Amino acid sequence: MSKKYSTFITALFCLFIFGFGAAHFLLPDREFSEQENTNLTQFKAPTWKTVRSGEFMEKFEKYFNDQFPLRDQWVQLKAYSERALGKQENNKVYFGTDGGQTLFAHFTKIGHEELATRVGFVSKLGDNLDVPVYFSLVPDKSAVLASLLPTNAPNRDDGSTISLAAELCGDGVTYIDLRGALTSAGDFYRTDHHWTTQGAQRAWWKLMADMGRVQPEADMDGFSYQALSYVQVSDSFYGTTYSASGAGWVRPDSIYAVIPEGGTKGNVTVDRYPEGTPIPGGLYYPEKLEVKDKYAYFLGGNQPLCIIQNPDAQGGKLLVVRDSYADSLAPFLAEEFQEVHLFDLRYNNMSLKKYVADNEIDQVLVLYSANNFNTDQNLFKLGL
Amino acid sequence: MIFSSPYFLFLYFPVVLTLYYITPLRGRNLVLLIVNLIFYGWGEPVYVLIMFLSIAIDYSHGRIVTTCKAKGNDKGARMAVASSVVFNLLLLGFFKYWDFIVGSLSTLGLDLVTREEIRSAINAALANIGLKPLFQAGSSTLPIGISFYTFQTMSYTIDVYRGDARCQKNIVTFGTFVTLFPQLIAGPIIKYKDLDDQLEHRDHSFEKFASGVQRFTIGACKKVLLANALGPLWDVYLATPGEQLTTLGAWLGIVAFSLQLYFDFSGYSDMAIGLGRMLGFEFLENFNYPYISKSASEFWRRWHISLGSWFREYLYFPLGGSRVGKGRMVFNLLVVWAATGIWHGASWNFLLWGLYWFVWIGLEKLWLGRALDRAPVWLSHLYGVAVAIVGWAIFAVEDFAAMGPYLAAMFGFGAGALDTDFLYYFRNYLPILVIAVAAATPLGKNLWHRLPERARQIAFPVLMLAGLALTTAYLVDGTYNPFLYFRF
Repeated sequence: MSKKYSTFITALFCLFIFGFGAAHFLLPDREFSEQENTNLTQFKAPTWKTVRSGEFMEKFEKYFNDQFPLRDQWVQLKAYSERALGKQENNKVYFGTDGGQTLFAHFTKIGHEELATRVGFVSKLGDNLDVPVYFSLVPDKSAVLASLLPTNAPNRDDGSTISLAAELCGDGVTYIDLRGALTSAGDFYRTDHHWTTQGAQRAWWKLMADMGRVQPEADMDGFSYQALSYVQVSDSFYGTTYSASGAGWVRPDSIYAVIPEGGTKGNVTVDRYPEGTPIPGGLYYPEKLEVKDKYAYFLGGNQPLCIIQNPDAQGGKLLVVRDSYADSLAPFLAEEFQEVHLFDLRYNNMSLKKYVADNEIDQVLVLYSANNFNTDQNLFKLGL
Repeated sequence: MIFSSPYFLFLYFPVVLTLYYITPLRGRNLVLLIVNLIFYGWGEPVYVLIMFLSIAIDYSHGRIVTTCKAKGNDKGARMAVASSVVFNLLLLGFFKYWDFIVGSLSTLGLDLVTREEIRSAINAALANIGLKPLFQAGSSTLPIGISFYTFQTMSYTIDVYRGDARCQKNIVTFGTFVTLFPQLIAGPIIKYKDLDDQLEHRDHSFEKFASGVQRFTIGACKKVLLANALGPLWDVYLATPGEQLTTLGAWLGIVAFSLQLYFDFSGYSDMAIGLGRMLGFEFLENFNYPYISKSASEFWRRWHISLGSWFREYLYFPLGGSRVGKGRMVFNLLVVWAATGIWHGASWNFLLWGLYWFVWIGLEKLWLGRALDRAPVWLSHLYGVAVAIVGWAIFAVEDFAAMGPYLAAMFGFGAGALDTDFLYYFRNYLPILVIAVAAATPLGKNLWHRLPERARQIAFPVLMLAGLALTTAYLVDGTYNPFLYFRF
């Protein structure tokens, strides 16, 4: 290498490392990453104590990585590079065989014994209560849309969770199998793990049929039960699966709301209980359509307890022990029941037995997505 | 601190370069010493104290050896060497092997205090006299790089005694040697005598810097783009329960590990050599395409060269090496390979792994080597790479309860030949495996040198920037960036 050429290489390298280093300090730090849907670590000045304990260094590393210039673009570059190398997944997200447009988060499989323990909590709830208890798991997107999954993808829902759960839950609980109801690509968001409004509606139909609310032979596809129309409220939804994947090539999803014919549901009232006292809420939160996590459009995001009342409905009082899939199911449930109590065990430690008695609940539905059911650490509260 | 992290590459190293090059030549060792200590203390500040202790002890022992020798007091000099070796081995023994020894003895019914108990006792004693605790609860207990720098400093006093190295009178210069950050935590293991002149005087030139840039970029790509990419494949098979392991799956897993370990470690050595050049140093090579070896002996002349040569020079030769009777030579080999094995980690499987190499290398010295010389070249290559790969299964599956089933699956006693998981992983990792296998041979280097000079000059900056950009992308994304040699 000649001296001139070496100088050039030296300059190029230094430009790269000094350039991004300098940019890191010149660019303003961000509070929040839309892409990752998470708060980013902020700089905290060192003190003798935090340096000595190593805490400062640990935080600083996180800060430096979180605030790295063009962070989102680097993450996407990596995803593109993985795909170019023939990989069918990145950061534990499978690229669908539809040109990588449908994304699948890894499904968590658990052993037979652990599943039996988890189902045992549901059975316990059935034994504890005098009212009918229904139990249903939402099949994972990787089971419903298996044909879009890369061939032989190992971390998929092979249906065994649901088969076993249905078999193990015992006579005190009625299992409702949603596998026949959820069948089409439109039932799940491509970029998120949740079901779409359409998927929720189909599940609702099956739930109502098995709970004896509608005649099973009624025509679901014609939506003849009650005239409902879909309204597109967003065409730019990028869900959490997308965020993890870095798959910059994916088109956004659309979000639909269900409005009954003849206008909005004037009679439905929603009470949120973020901390024990009710706050008036709604079925839909249009302001959430402006932020990254647009799924919070339905019921406004996670909350310990939410009570939906519809005096015009014919059904009684339903308690749903649930995860976030119930958020977009809620508008349908509100059509049917006078009171729907949505109870999230992750944030709510009240005794279910006492709650059912105090509120004169007359039926209970335990509804989880199969993946959450396999991973949630709060299911034991069902049996308390 | 590790090289393959954004804050090293875009903050620490630019700051080091700036400070280093604005300082006049005379002060540069001091600058290096200071930044070395920051580098070392970054992960575990309290262990900087060990560094100071290590520098002080080895420095003074070097001085004592020299003084004794000057006075013709050979016995005193030998005592000083012995004392330095004992100190370094105690340091290593206490931090790396104590809990392993305690754990092993406790199965025999002997109870000794663990390191955690010693640490809390020290904290309690300090609290009694009104001082704050020295150790944080639950902090990592193995000071990183201790296996490397204790070996380096040990060789210093030995070499001073043997007359192979000059005594270093300047404690800053000596401290710079002990703590030199490019090779501090993962080698190469540098002997003082190889660095002596460079510590006193080293050339800085754009040519050297640019060749350092080239070497560093290659190392970073090896570590981040190949080793880190292959890691998850090995993780899958390591986590697979023994009764579910298929033969092809077990091989796919261990081949992934073999390549991951090679690119991780040799990539780190490349980065060390490259960083060294950018600061004016020239370190010895540590790897030379080990997987093209035709025998076990050759593998160890190509794998972690600085470790092999250290054991040869300071253990095997002093024991008599091969210039002794057959029985004694076998004994010497046994000692060296047991030591090499256990150096890699405080766990029985590493000892077993060392003995595994002892068996192959012993057999080669006795008769297998001559047979291999006469065998077809492809057969010797197959033998060389197979011995290494099977060895890695002993190395990588630390739990003996899992090692047996893993080896059994490799040799056909598993859950069949293959399953659908294997098909998925094979399909997904095939491109990166092909690239990695090619990169483990001199093929790329040979092709590169066959290009016309002009083409290389144009291609190099393009490849360099692409390599750095991809490395940055993977690092920034990188939740997956474990560093394998932290245990050693």
